[in-house]
Amino acid sequence: MLGDGNGGMCTIPGFNQIQFEGFCRFIDQGLTEELSKFPKIEDDTDQEIEFQLFVETYHLVEPLIKERDAVYELLTYSSELYISAGLIWKSSRDMQKQTIFIGNIPLMNSLGTSIVNGIYRIVINQILQSPGIYYRSELDHNGISVYTGTIISDWGGRLELEIDRKARIWARVSRKQKISILVLSSAMGSNLREILENVCYPEMFLSFLNEKEKKTIGSKENAILEFYQQFSCVGGDPVFSESLCKELHTKFFQQRCELGRIGRQNMNRRLNLDIPQHNTFLLPRDILAAADHLIGMKFGMGTLDDTNHLKNKRIRSVADLLQDQFGLALVRLESVVRRTICGAIRHKLIPTPHNLVTSTPLTTTYESFFGLHPLSQVLDRTNPLTQIVHGRKLSYLGPGGLTARTASFRMRDIHPSYYGRICPIDTSEGINVGLIGSLAIHARIGRGGSLESPFYEISERSNKGRMLYFSPSRDEYYMVAAGNSLALNRGIQEEQVVPARYRQEFLTLAWDQVHLRSIFPFQYFSIGASLIPFIEHNDANRALMSSNMQRQAVPLSQSERCIVGTGLERQASLDSGVTAIAEREGKIIYTNSDKIILSGSGDTLSIPLVMYQRSNKNTWMHQKPQVPRGKCIKKGQILADGAATVGGELALGKNVLVAYMPWEGYNFEDAVLISERLVYEDIYTSFHIRKYEMQTHVTSQGPERITNEIPHLEAHLLRNLDKNGIVMMGSWVEAGEILVGKLTPQMAEEESSYAPEERLLRAILGIQISTSKETCLKLPIGGRGRVIDVRWIQKRGGSSYNPETIRVYILQKREIKVGDKVAGRHGNKGIISKILPRQDMPYLQDGRPVDMVFNPLGVPSRMNVGQIFECSLGFAGDLLERHYRIAPFDERYEQEASRKLVFSELYEASKQTANPWVFEPEYPGKSRLFDGRTGDPFEQPVIIGKPYILKLIHQVDDKIHGRSSGHYARVTQQPLRGRAKQGGQRVGEMEVWALEGFGVAHLLQEMLTYKSDHIRARQGVLGTTILGGTIPKPEDAPESFRLLVRELRSLALELNHFLVSEKNFQINRKEA
Amino acid sequence: MVREKVRVSTRTLQWKCVESRVDSKRLYYGRFILSPLMKGQADTIGIAMRRALLGEIEGTCITRAKFEKIPHEYSTIVGIQESVHEILMNLKEIVLRSNLYGTCNASICVKGPGCVTAQDILLPPSVEIIDNTQHIASLMEPIHLCIGLQIERNRGYHIKSPNNFQDGSYPIDAVFMPVRNANHSIHSYGNQNEKQEILFLEIWTNGSLTPKEALHEASRNLIDLFLPFLHAEEENLHLGKNKYNVTFPLFTFHKKLAKLRKPKNEIALKSIFIDQLELPPRIYNSLKGSKIHTLSDLLNKSQEDLMKMKHFRIEDVKQILDILEIEKAFHNRFNEENVENAFISSFFLNKTKGQKKDEMGFESLE
Repeated sequence: MLGDGNGGMCTIPGFNQIQFEGFCRFIDQGLTEELSKFPKIEDDTDQEIEFQLFVETYHLVEPLIKERDAVYELLTYSSELYISAGLIWKSSRDMQKQTIFIGNIPLMNSLGTSIVNGIYRIVINQILQSPGIYYRSELDHNGISVYTGTIISDWGGRLELEIDRKARIWARVSRKQKISILVLSSAMGSNLREILENVCYPEMFLSFLNEKEKKTIGSKENAILEFYQQFSCVGGDPVFSESLCKELHTKFFQQRCELGRIGRQNMNRRLNLDIPQHNTFLLPRDILAAADHLIGMKFGMGTLDDTNHLKNKRIRSVADLLQDQFGLALVRLESVVRRTICGAIRHKLIPTPHNLVTSTPLTTTYESFFGLHPLSQVLDRTNPLTQIVHGRKLSYLGPGGLTARTASFRMRDIHPSYYGRICPIDTSEGINVGLIGSLAIHARIGRGGSLESPFYEISERSNKGRMLYFSPSRDEYYMVAAGNSLALNRGIQEEQVVPARYRQEFLTLAWDQVHLRSIFPFQYFSIGASLIPFIEHNDANRALMSSNMQRQAVPLSQSERCIVGTGLERQASLDSGVTAIAEREGKIIYTNSDKIILSGSGDTLSIPLVMYQRSNKNTWMHQKPQVPRGKCIKKGQILADGAATVGGELALGKNVLVAYMPWEGYNFEDAVLISERLVYEDIYTSFHIRKYEMQTHVTSQGPERITNEIPHLEAHLLRNLDKNGIVMMGSWVEAGEILVGKLTPQMAEEESSYAPEERLLRAILGIQISTSKETCLKLPIGGRGRVIDVRWIQKRGGSSYNPETIRVYILQKREIKVGDKVAGRHGNKGIISKILPRQDMPYLQDGRPVDMVFNPLGVPSRMNVGQIFECSLGFAGDLLERHYRIAPFDERYEQEASRKLVFSELYEASKQTANPWVFEPEYPGKSRLFDGRTGDPFEQPVIIGKPYILKLIHQVDDKIHGRSSGHYARVTQQPLRGRAKQGGQRVGEMEVWALEGFGVAHLLQEMLTYKSDHIRARQGVLGTTILGGTIPKPEDAPESFRLLVRELRSLALELNHFLVSEKNFQINRKEA
Repeated sequence: MVREKVRVSTRTLQWKCVESRVDSKRLYYGRFILSPLMKGQADTIGIAMRRALLGEIEGTCITRAKFEKIPHEYSTIVGIQESVHEILMNLKEIVLRSNLYGTCNASICVKGPGCVTAQDILLPPSVEIIDNTQHIASLMEPIHLCIGLQIERNRGYHIKSPNNFQDGSYPIDAVFMPVRNANHSIHSYGNQNEKQEILFLEIWTNGSLTPKEALHEASRNLIDLFLPFLHAEEENLHLGKNKYNVTFPLFTFHKKLAKLRKPKNEIALKSIFIDQLELPPRIYNSLKGSKIHTLSDLLNKSQEDLMKMKHFRIEDVKQILDILEIEKAFHNRFNEENVENAFISSFFLNKTKGQKKDEMGFESLE
């Protein structure tokens, strides 16, 4: 594309690169770094023995199990870490050296994920405020600007210095308390003389030094006392002691003053200091220099900082997170070793390195990290795109970061420094908007956790440019020509001026002033956004929705490549790892649906294929072999396509014939009308595989039993069980049928615990009191399908009893139906409202019925015009049998380039197929359509085309729900909410108004009492269904009102009502 | 001018195949014209034909396949490159031609290695394969592949849920739609006063029948649908089992009632007293005077009998009828067979005979 021999530089980096690099950094550097911090441990008593680790000798062992087996058997795919440890007897100068096993480290696989307990987990990158000092000014309530300097520590702790109107400098140690800077400095160990010597404006310091302070800063102890008093807000007269010092140290100095290496660098840079790198703690000098700067700010010198600038942020990647955890584990190990040494000495045992060290600290630390840490997430595997995007996420949340509820709009906003680093489009909707972002395609993590973006250097001397990576602090000072309006080759300088960026401003510059230019049109987009063709014609909000919705697309049973794409589909699918790729060259000697055998360079390689597997979103994972037997293949060639990939390209949806027109109101509010063809030709048919799981436990009455002899159950519910009581593979099961028959032992004499009517029923029907209760695994509503796999996992427990886990996998084939959600790639989403026979659909002039009808009103207000371009170009491509790959911002080549392309292609299609109606100059892109029911032409020409439409994972089958009876919330006694809990729909305030408006008093009462929280009325209903008669009218207040009364009472407010008798004025207290 | 008009009107309607093309074994194209047609007729025929072609034509498909010894359709057979489900999908695509009634059986029995194509299907004589090269499966090893097939002729499409399988057979979603696409266009000619139209019909089929046959089939289907209009009107048409008794039962006839009369209903009628009818006092008194106490008494009297009574006028008869109408709605709830209804209506008919003609003109039928 650059055309001057630098093609190699322009390749898109692997999309998983970020994760791999992070993990490699951890293994290569992180481990050594942390291990070298491990101290030599001496025993406390006589310092006779010394324990130490030999850092250089550590090595990781290749895991014994395969990745697949780890998933299948719910194990962790990890590698054992061994290191040599030595135990030195000082007296005899004897050393015992052993290789010890210190724990398991979960490995990263080729998807950039780790397998922990059989679950794919991914660690996403965190973006944090860089440690250092930041100055800002704020207006106080009097309208006077107050300058503040915030020192952010490596752990995210803050210390604020501020200068007030009277030019006094305070250090704010907590939200309310502030102390004088002099107290802080002397508490940190400098005396007044040193302070005054080290500052530029000593008179300022002296001016606010009063008598009391003079006394406090007189000695370090006094200062610390004063500081402690303010910091922990204790009154009285604390006495100086070691413990107090220690507490202050851990609570304040460690949390708020540890800068770390990066923090020290930033501090030195910002405050022009030259404190050596290894001084990672805040020094009094820093404080004083910071105060000097603050005074300077007050006088109008120096610049304020922009905290949201990316140069003030750093990325905490997998490497850092894993390294932190490793350090934590080593600290734990250290204490364990220390304890064991002491214990051994006390009991006069001779320790060996082997019995000093256990593997539990490291293993459990990593297990809990992957299981509990908010940045370790379960890999979302809805489709290949989802997998690949997940590892490239950036989060402002998490420990040490922001919280979603308190983050300001400022922080969520797009900053100019995001250019080429964080995608301005791809973020989640809702509460996390702007806090969870996505890395731009070319961005990489540089040293010190900065995000770097590549630029192409334009140098005067040679025509050959270089590609350089710049951190956010550097590229601001260059003139960067914007990529969206640029003659490709500098040799052809038709345009003399070019729009460029310089220090967050847009300028128009002459060519020779430009230093850098962007290398690639996708440079500033994430993968999700760069899969949208004609993205430059879309409103950013809709592009955002699209990049999110593409991740929700369901893999279809027969995928199809998009006619109009952006050219990134191939790499997205390759890097996602759903395709099987030849690891080396060779010849195919065997292909079957479940494996491919490759022979080359002397040995054979069997590549197992994924067959009808379930993803964690219940979608379908499957690989189809694509290479014939006997073919020679090269390394990296695709052997099998995965779900939602075709020929190695991402294929999330289908190209369908679409018309934008109203049709009998069936596309009101973005609803979509579809043709039956999409149903019977399996165009939008997808597979969904669900997992149902059950475990057996031991109760106080004995262990639970799995059997096919379940009493009191109808035979047809049990017909699919085999002789062990587990559903047979290949059987078709419907909702309510038994998947696993299980009996839980129960006390026989629990007769009295039944309700009287139930006892009566039992007596009438002659049901024997059984010693067990059925606790079968039943197929829940909507779960019908084919049992494709049954797994019986027996875990070897310690005791005589082995708990068993039974998993049943059920595959459903789902055609598209009314209520499913479909979407295009431009944020144009809708719900299927009606399915029409093909002869009823509007048809084109050649008789072809349309497949989908979208609402034309969905376009203008949403401003996603890209869909129209895609639609028309797709139509042309379909007729010409061409596929288009369009990079964004093609308008830089000429004006209206997209429109010209679309029209010319349509024109050509019209000419080649001899269909004049394909391109009609009066209304290009539109055509006259006919109503399929009457044959009448529609009044207006209608835009038709073939866009790429996806079926999303939000499907009615998963959502449809009704409740007749069910459980109630314990406290309010109102029906539970949610489909999973068999919940009911809330009849809220406005719904009550609606019913009141209709005047349906009885219905309303029923909804608010019998069906809801009136316990007595509810029981009355039960009674009348058994005994007959009329249902009693609910008279008193429902339960939620009684709850309110009781809550008021707990606030000492009595709410009650009284009945006053008319005759004798006797007052009757009624209990509400 | 007049002569020309006569000439045109005598010209008979003719159709002709203008273009016919076989693009592939599974894509046939044909273009037909029909002329001359009067203004507007082309549209009438065209849309009807298009809809009939797309929706009414029958096709033949494989609807069920039976495999030996496989656990389910999402499993694989060793030595076959496709999964069972893919084989089923391939079988769905196979185009057949038949003149079947109902279903018949076929089978595939092949020994590998090699490709299994549509040619390998062993068919009954009434069914034939259109495209022999249609791929079914690839056998990689010397194994036997035996599939039992069920073939059905039908129209539309069927998607069956596979819940009722025994014996290891799997239903295949069948699409019995041999016509891929149909289109009509109208060409009009002639001068201002007398416009003539030519109807162009374009038909694309999947090869199981030629466009010409599809045209025949569609027109026969249409004719079949229109034929009932040529026959005499059916007398006792059961419109949805009398669920909608708003107007219809009113016109049932007295003679037929006699058969339907059952003792049970009579008891019902006997148990309704005229006191319950809320009649005006004058009518009530005169009915009581003539010893009419129950509804059954009242209904057993004809209009003539009533008119013979003292102080009884023609308006009173009308009034009774109105009240009986109201009652009817109430009594219907107890009466499943609407017999009583019929009583009332018969009464109505009897009473009004001679006074005014029934609006619907049911007189002639009596």
